[in-house]
Amino acid sequence: MDRAAFLARVEEYHRAGWRLALINVTTVLSTEADMPGVFEIAWAFARGGGFETIREQIEPGATVPSISEFFGAAFLYENEIRELFGINVTGIGVDLKGQLYKTATRVPFSHAAVKARLEATRAAAVKHS
Amino acid sequence: MKRTIIPFGPQHPVLPEPIVLDLILMDEKVMDAIPTIGYIHRGLEMMVERVEYTEMGFVVERICGICSFMHGMGYCVSLESIMNVEVPERARWLRLIWAEISRIQSHLLWLGLGADAFGFENLFMHCWRMREQILDIFEKTTGGRIIHSVNRIGGVKRDISDSELAAILAQLQELGAAFGETARVFETDPSIRHRLSGVGVLTTEDARAVDAVGPMARASGIAIDTRLSGAHLYDRVDFEPMVESAGDCLARVLVRLREVDQSIDIIRQAIERMPKGDGQAIETRVRGVPDGEVFTRLEQPRGEVIYYVKANGTRFLERFRARTPTFANIPAMIKLVKGSQLADVPNIILTIDPCISCTER
Repeated sequence: MDRAAFLARVEEYHRAGWRLALINVTTVLSTEADMPGVFEIAWAFARGGGFETIREQIEPGATVPSISEFFGAAFLYENEIRELFGINVTGIGVDLKGQLYKTATRVPFSHAAVKARLEATRAAAVKHS
Repeated sequence: MKRTIIPFGPQHPVLPEPIVLDLILMDEKVMDAIPTIGYIHRGLEMMVERVEYTEMGFVVERICGICSFMHGMGYCVSLESIMNVEVPERARWLRLIWAEISRIQSHLLWLGLGADAFGFENLFMHCWRMREQILDIFEKTTGGRIIHSVNRIGGVKRDISDSELAAILAQLQELGAAFGETARVFETDPSIRHRLSGVGVLTTEDARAVDAVGPMARASGIAIDTRLSGAHLYDRVDFEPMVESAGDCLARVLVRLREVDQSIDIIRQAIERMPKGDGQAIETRVRGVPDGEVFTRLEQPRGEVIYYVKANGTRFLERFRARTPTFANIPAMIKLVKGSQLADVPNIILTIDPCISCTER
């Protein structure tokens, strides 16, 4: 992602009076067996009835910049996506150092974890059929 | 001055659910608060990997026992949007009525907890006695007091007859009159005002800075309410967001007090304006599998909730995400706690009306 262009767009939303509604991530698995896939990230902003998103796709291991500078509440979403998806977010306003959630699986929405669960589900379905 | 760290929670008399705030104090003043959640993180969003989209609604409404109906509604509305399903008008009105009944029961529950927290045990009992009447209405109309399972993709499972609706309205109006007396205690009692007035002030600027939602924002002078978008038939009823300007604990109480009356009025309008006649369609049969994505917004009792649903043309969704109002209000809570006195922390946290089950999913 183009970090400067992304932050400039976020700043535009901030200046125009939009509020941060959500940062959402989806783990997208690759259809090719030896490829991990990508993360789809959506930064969603709301103003009255309006609702718009900035979308980016990033590779596992890539970093995204924090938007805490413009939206103070972003730190919570950013800590969440780091803990649940393993996405590196740089410059988080309040770094909770991995103690936001207590999960049985470390990084439960990483590509490897999602893939392993899906394979286990398929294997169980085959066994029961 | 001495620096002390006090863990607030996970068990505390004012907390119905577990959350931890590590409070960093200088004498009695809170200098910083570090939140830890996760004690009831169930990973419900992960269940889309093995629960079919037709069944997932039953999981979603179990995110929380207080917001159960609206979670089910939000999920179904999302799928209906992706699958272009036209929901019968009567079903949409029924959803609006149940949504407002949910708001009344949630606010009554919270007002009771608030009263208990500042030492008014009888007031707590009055609020919860009235809430029982609301749960009776839920039980009568949906079959469930807490988990209703009345929403379906395409409509609702049960109708409410016109005569039942008239009886419910009469019951709610009677309850509204009785609630007026209880509300007056919250509004006028000198001890309550002394305990809550000027405590935990979130200014309008601060509320905007931390993107607060729901009664939390409205008590700070921001007229934000997802229902104003007019979606889900809210464009067919007349209402204005309940706004207070003081931004303190008392203002958050007053907003919720007025929203109880407002919800009763919205239900009255809905019953008057919905198409009459028993035996109308309440569900559209849905076939096929969803493919696409959608963001859905609703105004839950605690504020705006956002659902993200992504489907990939199979019976299993690729992603389901619920951003609940308490999650959005945690930064506001931290902002308020910083700089407050330790003795005020319980009331400040409680007046946010935190729902930790919703927050952790």
